Amino acid sequence: MLFFLLKRLGMLALTMLVVSIVVFLLLELTPGNVAAKVLGQYATAEQQRLWLEANGYFDPAFERYLRWLAKLLTGDLGESLCYKVPVGDILWPRLLNTVVLGAAVLAIMVPLSLTLGVIAGMREGRPSDRAISIISIVTTSVPEFASAAFLSALFVFALGWLPGTSAMSGGFDWRELVLPVAVLVLYDFGYVARMTRASMADVMTQPYIRTALLKGLTFRVVVLRHALRNALIAPFTVILLQVNWLLSGVIVVESFFAYKGFGALLLEASLFGDIFLIEACAMVAVVVAVVTQTLADIAYAYLSPRIRFAGGPV
Amino acid sequence: MTRVRRILAALRHRPVAAIGFALVLFWFAAALLAPVLAPFDPVTPLTPFAKPGAQHGGALLLLGTDTLGRDILSRLLFGARSVLVYAIGATVLAYAVGVTAGLAAGYYRGRTDTVLSFAANVVLSFPVLVLYILILTTIGASGLNILLAVTVASAPGIMRVVRGLTLELRARDFVAAAKLRGDGAAYIMLVEILPNLRGPLVVDACLRFGYVIITIGVLGFLGLGLPPPAPDWGSMIKEARQVALAFPHMTLAPAVAISSLVLGFNLLADGLRDPNGRG
Amino acid sequence: MKRRPSAVALAAGAGAHPAIPDLAATARRNAADRRDFLRTATLLGLSATAAYALAGLAPGTARAAAGASGGTLRISMKVQEMTDPARFDWTEKSNVARHIVEYLTMTGTDNVTRPYLAESWSASEDLKTWNFRLRRGVRWSNGDAFGAEDVAYNFRRWVDPKTGSSNKSLFSGLSAGGVEVVDRHTVRLHLSKPELAIPENLYNYPAAIVHRRFSDEGGDLSKNPVGTGPYRLAEFSIGQKAVLVRREKSAYWGPRPNPERILYIDHGDDPMAGIAAIASGQADLNYEISPDQLELVQAMPQLQLLEAATAQTAVARMRVDRPPFDKVAVRRAVQACIDHDRLLELGYRGRGAAGEDHHVAPVHPDYAALPKQRQDYALARKLLAEAGHPNGLELSIDCRSAPSWEPTTVQAMSAMCRPAGIDLKINTMPSEQYGDIWNKTPFGFTGWTHRPLGVMVLNLAYRSAAAWNESAYANSAFDRVLDRANATLDIPARRRHMAECERILQRDAVIVQPLWRSIFAVGSKNLRGYRLHPTNYHQLGGAGLG
Repeated sequence: MLFFLLKRLGMLALTMLVVSIVVFLLLELTPGNVAAKVLGQYATAEQQRLWLEANGYFDPAFERYLRWLAKLLTGDLGESLCYKVPVGDILWPRLLNTVVLGAAVLAIMVPLSLTLGVIAGMREGRPSDRAISIISIVTTSVPEFASAAFLSALFVFALGWLPGTSAMSGGFDWRELVLPVAVLVLYDFGYVARMTRASMADVMTQPYIRTALLKGLTFRVVVLRHALRNALIAPFTVILLQVNWLLSGVIVVESFFAYKGFGALLLEASLFGDIFLIEACAMVAVVVAVVTQTLADIAYAYLSPRIRFAGGPV
Repeated sequence: MTRVRRILAALRHRPVAAIGFALVLFWFAAALLAPVLAPFDPVTPLTPFAKPGAQHGGALLLLGTDTLGRDILSRLLFGARSVLVYAIGATVLAYAVGVTAGLAAGYYRGRTDTVLSFAANVVLSFPVLVLYILILTTIGASGLNILLAVTVASAPGIMRVVRGLTLELRARDFVAAAKLRGDGAAYIMLVEILPNLRGPLVVDACLRFGYVIITIGVLGFLGLGLPPPAPDWGSMIKEARQVALAFPHMTLAPAVAISSLVLGFNLLADGLRDPNGRG
Repeated sequence: MKRRPSAVALAAGAGAHPAIPDLAATARRNAADRRDFLRTATLLGLSATAAYALAGLAPGTARAAAGASGGTLRISMKVQEMTDPARFDWTEKSNVARHIVEYLTMTGTDNVTRPYLAESWSASEDLKTWNFRLRRGVRWSNGDAFGAEDVAYNFRRWVDPKTGSSNKSLFSGLSAGGVEVVDRHTVRLHLSKPELAIPENLYNYPAAIVHRRFSDEGGDLSKNPVGTGPYRLAEFSIGQKAVLVRREKSAYWGPRPNPERILYIDHGDDPMAGIAAIASGQADLNYEISPDQLELVQAMPQLQLLEAATAQTAVARMRVDRPPFDKVAVRRAVQACIDHDRLLELGYRGRGAAGEDHHVAPVHPDYAALPKQRQDYALARKLLAEAGHPNGLELSIDCRSAPSWEPTTVQAMSAMCRPAGIDLKINTMPSEQYGDIWNKTPFGFTGWTHRPLGVMVLNLAYRSAAAWNESAYANSAFDRVLDRANATLDIPARRRHMAECERILQRDAVIVQPLWRSIFAVGSKNLRGYRLHPTNYHQLGGAGLG
């Protein structure tokens, strides 16, 4: 276990290194005019030259990269070109906002999709199963930008029930969270529900379930006591991986509803070519991806033996 | 031929998949026949902000016009062309790369696998959309670059699927037999293993196809889609969103179009995956 | 009430520019010239009240119904960094800062420039020496007295290339040595070339006056917000919000502004977000909306539309030194494809004025009307053949993806070019990316802001080797006529020179200019006493919620 974790940690470091180099090179390909970005497009050539010189932009690319890397190791993320403040000052509050949004999405999406998935998988092929499956497919087929437009047209302008933006400028307000959460849940629950259904359906055909039913236990008891536990293991890992998906899923939603989160920040930084901010965001993304993957693997490994244990004859 | 008949027979028993098939067929037909079906040129301004059902020079504007006065129906039909062309192109390209890498990784294992899997993990550890945005903002948005971006981002996922299946298959007898016969590695991968991946890959392709269409739409919506005035569905929604509340037809039409096309592929995948009604 | 000519000298007082009496006489002869006179005369140092009187107009512009004092005004606008006012590159940045730091002059929503931190000013006859008398009794928020040293410090900072201020281009005739402190309340500028628009430039958004120890004390306004203005910065977080709180009545030199607090809220880049915020009662005013959103705003009873006619525009400019645009026939062929009235209709909902491809707006006092241009495909095809493209030509134009009217207008242009055999491809990109290539790309669509005088943009963008000359246009004949226009105070006379400038630019086909646009913002129904400024500078003193 320790070896596994150390290996993953090494993998994480290596991935971060490679990703940071790739991002750096990608931005180096079309460096644009950094001075013009910082000083404004109408700065004179002399002003730009002076600024570039003062900020070390005439040094070779690898030197600048190593400088950034050395700073990163001391915890200094550099300064944002767009916002002209230390990257950390913007990044962490934004990330926290996205964590709030993501937590709300998971808090609704997980019970909803598990319940639907279990109901569907419990009695395969029944009308309830087909209905849930079709609803899942339909909601998953509507892109987020389309459902965001539909929902805000309906609830903000036609009905006036909800605020149209979610900048949280007056402090935290749960009403501003409703639409972003709804759009994300709508798009994502179908996927997890279908995964759960597949897992549940699979479990329901296992011999021990049939045995239990043959022994005269009621369907309800069999489902609750025997099937459910085992059926939820596979969806659990899927849900952990949804955390990673959320990190990019929020980009459209956050920019649509002006939610001050990580996704909107990343989009702004990318459009601006704000190199250190992009690098920092990429590092966060890598950490989230590797950590959730590792957690999913550990969870699976940890839960699997108990599948056999719990799955024995009753 | 028999396979086609089999599929058609299967569809008859699976109304949901049949609906999916019909949706996909509808959009393919629309794309193919766009020049015949479209009542107007998709980029020529007529009367701006015409509501659905208005008239222009005696011809009906069935879905109205957009902010620049272009016929929305015509733009949808021609937009189907570009969406399908780019989605097919990107998916095929992504499969070419992903299947090759997956076969190689799964068949050779060892160092090849380590390097390829690491590369795939690196790409996958980016949020996908971020990868697109980074690629497109650095090399610029164009049809070719969209193909490239979608390929780079999708190939690792395909590779993983193929790798897993290959790892399983290479232990089978028929592969061992081929090796004993002295068949080359390339021959074994392409002739012995690949045909056996067909089933799972067709389902994966349908799902991925829907996803690629959504992605192209999202890119258009974020302003990184096909350059204007190309009738790109995502860009149409983006351009019309400002006025969507006063002129909902401008966003509804492309939103319904993109949703129905994606839905078609997803329903089809659902039907193909699962001849016994199981997921 | 009209005044006699003799009143001119009295009203103008000692030190009035010698050209003012002549200008006033012209103004009284011709009603159409009155407004032009107001603008020119106030730029030359005449107080606005006196100028109105001289021109025979009722003094003062009709003020919008006044808002009540107190309360919080919530504005949806991007909250960007606010480090150094001299380096501002977005109006939005200055809109937060302008309540803290102030300008020497102030141009009103009527395009008339009035005294602000400068009490009055005067110019030598050759327009190369400018005298600014500063307001007395003004104190910085840290208690220091405001004076000539502060102002001289700012001028010297602006023209120092190390500062990186766009003011350097604006005051290109000024060097650090040309800034003279006459006494504690007088500053004199010695320019190397005549410049009419100095007072106007002093209200340009990066020209806010900071404290004389600004750099020494960190050089960051957001961290050390010392200013002469009526508000102090209570809270500031980039990308989220800025909170400004009104200072004590005794602490501010000028009339007390209405809002007790001004709250800027960042709703991100989505143009719908600001409108939605006002509609749902989360904000009272937004920064700007695009013309696409007009119908929507008009359909919502809880919103009011604010509009200002401007000299803001965007031009499709061609690099005259890059093929295929090095052939004037190609540039003229593109021009011949354009129906400007239709472009205004398609690109900007008809709100504004049609462009005439010479970058002088009808709202400019020195604008001269030329014969109307016509769409002429036969001519376009002939010109293309002449330039060696008898089978048509493929072109590609770079264009920002936002504001949305820009790509929309370019798409309409592209459609207009097709019948002549010009296949105009459009390459849209984020604003920042366009900022990298705006003066390099062979064919680009560049936005230009409002400037109150026609000569100002011509000097910046079309003079040979000028700082912002994005088309590489160089024509000494044009430069000479422009020099004459710059040195001519009399408006009808200047207009004759301008007509020549406009003709040359049109004939050389440097740009296709689709339109002059009005700008719009949205306020809540109960917003009172606020007028939209043509440059979208937030002058909120009279604003309040009814």
